[in-house]
Amino acid sequence: MLTVKILGSGCANCKKLEAVARAAAAGAGLEAEFVKVTDMKAIMAFDLLATPGLVINEKLVSSGRIPTQAEVRQWLTVSPQTT
Amino acid sequence: MSFVLQLLNGGAGNLAAYLAAHVLLCLLPAFFIAGAMAALIPKASITRWLGRTTPRHVSYPAAAAAGSLLAVCSCTIVPLFAGIYRKGAGIGPAMTFLFFAPAGNIMALAYTGSILGADFAIARFLLCLLFGIGIGLLMALLFWRDDASHDAQTDALFAGKASIGATAIGVLLSLVALLIAGTLKLWPLTATVTVVDLPLPWAEAWQATLFQWVPFDAAKGEEGVSVQGSLLIALLVLIGLTAYKGMENIVEGPNRWTWIALGLAATTLLVAALRFTPHAGGLEIAFTGRVFAIGLALWAVSRYARRLNPENWQGWLWESWRFVKQIFPLLVVGVFAVGVIRQLIQPEWIQALAGRNSLLANTVGVAFGVFMYFPTLVEVPVARMFLDLGMHRGPLLAYLMADPELSLQSILMIAAVIGRPKTFAYVGWVAIFSVTAGLLYGAWVDGVRLGWLALGMAAFIAVLAGGLAWLHRRQHNAIQPS
Repeated sequence: MLTVKILGSGCANCKKLEAVARAAAAGAGLEAEFVKVTDMKAIMAFDLLATPGLVINEKLVSSGRIPTQAEVRQWLTVSPQTT
Repeated sequence: MSFVLQLLNGGAGNLAAYLAAHVLLCLLPAFFIAGAMAALIPKASITRWLGRTTPRHVSYPAAAAAGSLLAVCSCTIVPLFAGIYRKGAGIGPAMTFLFFAPAGNIMALAYTGSILGADFAIARFLLCLLFGIGIGLLMALLFWRDDASHDAQTDALFAGKASIGATAIGVLLSLVALLIAGTLKLWPLTATVTVVDLPLPWAEAWQATLFQWVPFDAAKGEEGVSVQGSLLIALLVLIGLTAYKGMENIVEGPNRWTWIALGLAATTLLVAALRFTPHAGGLEIAFTGRVFAIGLALWAVSRYARRLNPENWQGWLWESWRFVKQIFPLLVVGVFAVGVIRQLIQPEWIQALAGRNSLLANTVGVAFGVFMYFPTLVEVPVARMFLDLGMHRGPLLAYLMADPELSLQSILMIAAVIGRPKTFAYVGWVAIFSVTAGLLYGAWVDGVRLGWLALGMAAFIAVLAGGLAWLHRRQHNAIQPS
């Protein structure tokens, strides 16, 4: 079971990122729990300079941009083995 | 009932006139520039100057640069502000960044320049830069104790190094050239190169219909919609529709609609640079120097953009489109509301309150800025309304300095990151600095010589510096227990 966190205050990019991440998880046939983190203090606990941030199993994989579905799918499939 | 209709008509007329006249040549390139900055400038190329060990004369200008180059929307402003404060150079540069970002970014400056005049944009930029750094230094001195307690934190966030690629610089510079070619009102751009007369007999009747639909009163600073304006509004609607189909999923790759939307955007810029004159039996179209300058700039943009790798240019288009989606609807609503409100305000009120460059007038300008909240960029058409109604340019600048920096939203956000006492201190300083900026600029507009202004500024800085030196001595004594 994967935990995917979307870091961001709810701006357009965060919604887009969530959509991309959900589509990637569905495309890879993975089950994942999606958590939206909007609290600034919780966001700043991760090292990032700009939202949106994508966190998979407590590890920040991207920030400040929207990755493509293919990228997210790769991160999703790699992370279970590394953690 | 007819009063309500008059109000709505005022709003619609204001909106149509803005869309047709002001927005295009300035805002369209500005959206693309903002997108390019967000997508093509690696954040680390500037933030590496914001680390804990960076000396002051580097970190403060770097914070201002970050404000104007990296931060166009709150998605970047809030995390970067919190990051600079907690993990970077401390409260001073964080405050400089926060103060400068809303006024010093390219969208705000381009929009201010095209609606209120270039001298106003330059004054806004320079005074915000100077006072932003001033406020940062003041905050750092006042709250030195908190900065000292940050030292346990690591610097890793700001350690990354990166530089901007040559192609990205090419794209940015040619976009800036496009913006300048579109907005500058200088000779080679305004000259008429050649004239084409189209036999369109309906043009004059259409113009008459437009003026009937959107009646305007030039004395109150209102504007009508021209034939060209109606064509531009139609093009804008088309861009909106095609962009929605072409840009929404641009990150996964472009489609047919993407190219249509981009083609329409380029066409719109070229059409906006033409000069249409309807006359009996036809429509005269003048090709100005501007048309050729814009054509050249567009060619340069496409030449550089084609050399970007797909990830970069798709990211660029997405960021530009996102800014359009985020800012443009608010701007449309705001401009409409300004048109409605303008019908309700008597010019005499404004002239009595802020018609002269006095301390009271500047304070009123700042107070209005603090208590009113306008979404991004809407403060500019609001300012235009006040200018048309007879507000002096000095208090107007004071208002424009205070409004974007101090909205209720931004005060809450700052308080969440740095706590209430510091937030109140910041708000106080912004108010004082804004009033001073308004007084100085107003005096300049009234024709006071630069020497006297410099003297006034020097006196203001001397008073501040004296107070700070006294504070600093006290702090110094506090750390050395005797």
